[in-house]
Amino acid sequence: MFTYSVNMVILGRDNNAMKLRINGRDHEVDVEPGMPLLWVLRDELDMTGTKFGCGVSSCGACTVMIDGVATRSCTLPVANAQDKNITTIEGIGSPANLSAVQQAWIEHQVPQCGYCQSGMIMAAEALLDEIPDPTDEDIDQKMTNICRCGTYQRVRAAIHTAAKMRNQASDLLGSI
Amino acid sequence: MAEKKKRFTRRKFLIGSGVVGAGLVIGVAGLNHHVNKKIKKYSGQGLGDGSSLNAWIRIAPDNSVTLAIARAEMGQGVYTSLPMLIAEELEIPMESITVVHPQPESPYANTFLVTQQEPNAFKGYSLMEKVYAYLPVVGTGGSTTIPDGFNNMRYAGATAREMLKEAAAQKWGVSRDLIKAEAGQLIYQDKKLSYGEIASAAADIDLSELPTLKNRKDWKVIGTKAKRLDVPEKVVGEATFGIDVRPAGMLYAAMLHPTTIGGKITSIKNKEEVENMNGVQKVVLTEYGAAVIADNTWRAKNGTLMLEVEEDNGGNADISSEAIFSSLERILDEAPIATPENEGDTQSVLAQGESISATYRAPYLAHATMEPLNCTVKISDESAEVWAGHQAPSVAKDMVSQESGIKKDNVTIHTTYLGGGFGRRAEPDFILKATAVAKEMPGVAIQTIFTREEDMRNDMYRPAALSRFTAKVKSDGDIEAWDNMMALQSVSHSSMNRIMPSMAVKPKDDTATAEGAAHLPYHMANRRVAFGNYESPIQVGFWRSVGSSQNAFFTESFMDECAHAAGQDPYAFRKEKLNSHPRFAAVLDQVAQMSGWGAQDGKYRGIALHKSFGSIVGEVCELSKVDDTTFSIDKYYCAIDCGTYVNPDTIEAQMEGGIVFGLSAAIYGEITWRNGQVVQGNFPDYEMVRMNVSPITQVHIMEVDEYPGGVGEPGTPPAAPALANAIYAATGQRIRELPLIKSGIEFV
Repeated sequence: MFTYSVNMVILGRDNNAMKLRINGRDHEVDVEPGMPLLWVLRDELDMTGTKFGCGVSSCGACTVMIDGVATRSCTLPVANAQDKNITTIEGIGSPANLSAVQQAWIEHQVPQCGYCQSGMIMAAEALLDEIPDPTDEDIDQKMTNICRCGTYQRVRAAIHTAAKMRNQASDLLGSI
Repeated sequence: MAEKKKRFTRRKFLIGSGVVGAGLVIGVAGLNHHVNKKIKKYSGQGLGDGSSLNAWIRIAPDNSVTLAIARAEMGQGVYTSLPMLIAEELEIPMESITVVHPQPESPYANTFLVTQQEPNAFKGYSLMEKVYAYLPVVGTGGSTTIPDGFNNMRYAGATAREMLKEAAAQKWGVSRDLIKAEAGQLIYQDKKLSYGEIASAAADIDLSELPTLKNRKDWKVIGTKAKRLDVPEKVVGEATFGIDVRPAGMLYAAMLHPTTIGGKITSIKNKEEVENMNGVQKVVLTEYGAAVIADNTWRAKNGTLMLEVEEDNGGNADISSEAIFSSLERILDEAPIATPENEGDTQSVLAQGESISATYRAPYLAHATMEPLNCTVKISDESAEVWAGHQAPSVAKDMVSQESGIKKDNVTIHTTYLGGGFGRRAEPDFILKATAVAKEMPGVAIQTIFTREEDMRNDMYRPAALSRFTAKVKSDGDIEAWDNMMALQSVSHSSMNRIMPSMAVKPKDDTATAEGAAHLPYHMANRRVAFGNYESPIQVGFWRSVGSSQNAFFTESFMDECAHAAGQDPYAFRKEKLNSHPRFAAVLDQVAQMSGWGAQDGKYRGIALHKSFGSIVGEVCELSKVDDTTFSIDKYYCAIDCGTYVNPDTIEAQMEGGIVFGLSAAIYGEITWRNGQVVQGNFPDYEMVRMNVSPITQVHIMEVDEYPGGVGEPGTPPAAPALANAIYAATGQRIRELPLIKSGIEFV
């Protein structure tokens, strides 16, 4: 018999009303507590910026921040995301008000197909929050997402550029 | 039979009667039919505000320009490079452009994809080009977007520019020649009009002559690092991929395929039980497999995991990787079915004296696009609406019509961004399956998705291949004879039977099989390249760079073996065989020079040179040795001659990414079979190069004033042999089998 590399245990089959705080706004959902946060975002709330890639926490296309920590949402039961601050790609910048990471991504023309880039950007944001001036070794260690188009060298360059932009901005704030 | 004959006659009649000529952009006479009178003939003319100047260009009163670009944007930058060609001639800023994807209609055909001839629709199509435009063949693949569009898009822009100038000339009562078009403005002395102000009048202009294109020296856009138009929305999560569409009332379906290749699910044992699961709307059985339709992707997927099905394995349960490779080895010893190259008398030369011989091996590979396959279909009474990222929307349209019985004219295809294509999204299977599922719930849009496991186990794989070389290398380095016998499944035979059966080829006529193996640029007096065919129920398909993906590894590794057999430097050995191919020699010199070839700096270097899709690419891999089996890939140096180049930043990106794609396959990639089933299902067992292993690539684009070649694929083929040759330089170990991890080599 064929066996799937099944990644999700089918937890709690009955719906549960839950409150989620996403990008600073409260949302109510009524779903199974075991439903991965990814599918709550994409299919229940139609926030499609966060992507499905593998379903097994391997590729990182679904990366969001939970209380500031880069987290793969495809295996995170939504119940575990209650009472936490969830940040998605929709929450870090808009076309008119881009984050430093997003600006650096444009400067270095990072995306190709672009499908993995929401997750890649979220991982980079979390990395820079934790390590404001990362070395190449830090980037190798923290940036574990897959990009099938192979944009890694531009991701690396853009992270260094974003780090400079963020550090200059904070120096400026400090000097006021 | 009678039915068939009738159809053929009708098509012939249409072509003969000139309907094709009148309806298309053919020649000056055809131009006016095409450039309309505000009559919407093609979908590209109806998109966005304003006035259409032709099937591609629409200008709004506020001077914003909407361009209809019918090529799949899958990361290779066509939503920017084709607009650059139009902008160059139309004289508009890139910032004023919005790109939309039109329906698959005749003006948007990719004739180069089929003919491999430089088209110029405005000067007139050849008969075969007319046929492919009439069908039409609207697709993206084979690195053909620029070779197909280079003339056509510039003429589209130039034609519109002259229409705008003529409208202004008539308004001002001056000769058209005196008016200058610049940055979306028409200028004569102190008079000025924006394109938007005159576009409506310009749409009525009949041009009697073909416009003159700008001289190369006057180009302001082509050849510059224009910023990609699709990047801003891709960094904020707003780009819409197929999986992101949300038409009103849409439901989600997950596919469950038969587990055995060529098998069939014959019944579902627990339909009712699964239909009672939370959110599940319906369980369906189609000829392609079962599907669970639910109100959410996760619930649909859980439904498929609970399904209990009966399956007919089609008699294929004994397919295994071991059996496949035994068959391939046997085929190497049989007479070839085709000999694409046979110069001199290779066999006689090889029969005398000493020769060297080696057999190379490459595995089946999956595409593993980042966006798992999906397609959204809504079937209504007499029409169908489809949302998909597909490389060939004309094929998608045919397939939806065929599967649903709805007339082709009533099928609308919304082409989204593609989360990776690599050839996988040229296949019709996921369109057919989604249509079969949607048929079960008419009136409802249904997004059918393959989970990663279903995607990886139901791919159209790059075929496994063997290549057995025998060569006679003289002590002075001359290759007196070169024999290459290959064994593999035919990609074009398998794939074209699915995509466009009318254009399917027999295995012996498949030019993709020896692509990159025959007609090498190196001087070899006697050479034979031949292949045998392996028949299998395994479906094989176009995988980024196709035949070159394995043939470059085979030929460029064995060239290295020949160099070492002659005791020569691998770069010098190649160079002296390129006297009659200066473009190859220049690329080789360039990449060797960039890489510091020959430096004694503790680094190990491997070189490879390969032409594919009209472009010549040389690569040098630079390795550091961590220990005897562990290496760090520090750098790749890459030189490309793609003739005239359009967007150098995109070309650099395609080389960087193409190399990583080649390295993922070289280091990790392998799909294996056991009991007729694919073993690998997800990334942990089908690994990819990630940040820590990825090299830094330095790219040089050669300045060559020739017709452009493709750039989406040619970066991939030399990556594997450059790496394997560098490993030989570091260890003296010749790797003849991919992936490298099977030889116990690791990368950090």
